[in-house]
Amino acid sequence: MTREDFRRELGDAFDAISGSPDPALSDRVRSALVEAPERRGPVWIGALAAAVIAVILVGVLVLGNPLNRGPQVPGGQPTPSATPTQAPPVSPNPSPTASPLPICSASAITANQSPQTAFIDDVRTGTHAGFDRITIQFQNGQPPTIELRPQTGTTFTRDGIGDKVTLAGKNGILVIIKGADAHTAYSGSTDFKTGYAGLAEARQVGDFEAIVQWALGVNGTPCYHAYILDNPTRLVIDIPTT
Amino acid sequence: MISVVMDQRPQTMARAAQGDAQAFATLIAPLLDPAYRLAAVMLADRTTAEDAVQEASIKAWRKLGQLRGDVGSLRSWFLSIVANECRMVRRQRWWSVTKLAEIVPLHPSGDQFDATSTDLKSALLRLSPDERLPLVLHFYLDLPLEEVARTLGLSPAATKSRIYRTARKLRSDLTLEEVF
Repeated sequence: MTREDFRRELGDAFDAISGSPDPALSDRVRSALVEAPERRGPVWIGALAAAVIAVILVGVLVLGNPLNRGPQVPGGQPTPSATPTQAPPVSPNPSPTASPLPICSASAITANQSPQTAFIDDVRTGTHAGFDRITIQFQNGQPPTIELRPQTGTTFTRDGIGDKVTLAGKNGILVIIKGADAHTAYSGSTDFKTGYAGLAEARQVGDFEAIVQWALGVNGTPCYHAYILDNPTRLVIDIPTT
Repeated sequence: MISVVMDQRPQTMARAAQGDAQAFATLIAPLLDPAYRLAAVMLADRTTAEDAVQEASIKAWRKLGQLRGDVGSLRSWFLSIVANECRMVRRQRWWSVTKLAEIVPLHPSGDQFDATSTDLKSALLRLSPDERLPLVLHFYLDLPLEEVARTLGLSPAATKSRIYRTARKLRSDLTLEEVF
């Protein structure tokens, strides 16, 4: 392949993705620019107003949010000293302490600071007294958002492919990790058929457009504790078995 | 391939710097096509790409003072704002960035060349948007390495390395000579 061949093929592929812009785009942008607020004064005032509002909002959230007294992450184990912005101290193999009831509804974990793309470099499962665990480890920091969505049944749609897969177990939890990829630093298994009492199966059902999805098949109700630990950064999801 | 020749118009730039929005619109008009293509490839969604370009244009207008009248840097400066806007859109509207169904193939199916292009397109879409960015800038918008580096905020050597590394993700057998 010559340099020109490679460029031509890439150009055609890019063309297929982007197409051409709407001919009206130029007029649309021009109108938006003309109608945009004047650059200096109003922007400066707007920024100041936004800063004041942000300070007030942060204050309200800090003082008024009961979750503030718990961990950063839904379903995690609260510690008296935990702050909303810091993950709890990490031990090599953390065990849940006395914890609140597990979460049985959708929840999200958001990061204060994230890399452009968080590279998953390890996934492992384990069983412990009272819970089964899946750990998804990140090489370079916490991804911006992680969502957990419990569901009835264990049928999931594979992202980017569209077909359906059914996991072992009775119910499921879909874990959606946004701003991550599982193909750069991870080459391990993408399907763990564990046979555990709680977590029956964990299977990757998406690694596309910087969104990684793992489906969990559980034997009981789809409830969980989820939290982030660091050194290394990892998402820990515990499925109660008692 | 798209070749964008920047129109060096210091007078238009001066008017824009004085607050003339029409002058700024004229200044960036030749950049809207490459900006859209960059956004469309990063976001894999054409409608969202046009929205991103519009929003980036307004942000560029508000930040024009950062350019200090340097028309020569306008293109890389503007494209970096578009790229940042795309990143922001992805963070805010993650659910709208994988609408592959909206991507219309350019060539009719059945053609041998089209099959290659489709394979490459799929491979491109498997890259992260930030991995696609230097490829778009260099191979699609024909920006020289130095300008790609300015847009990315990297050194030319690091940019070259990044482009080569990403190109090898598309075709593992590519040699350096086949890329540059």
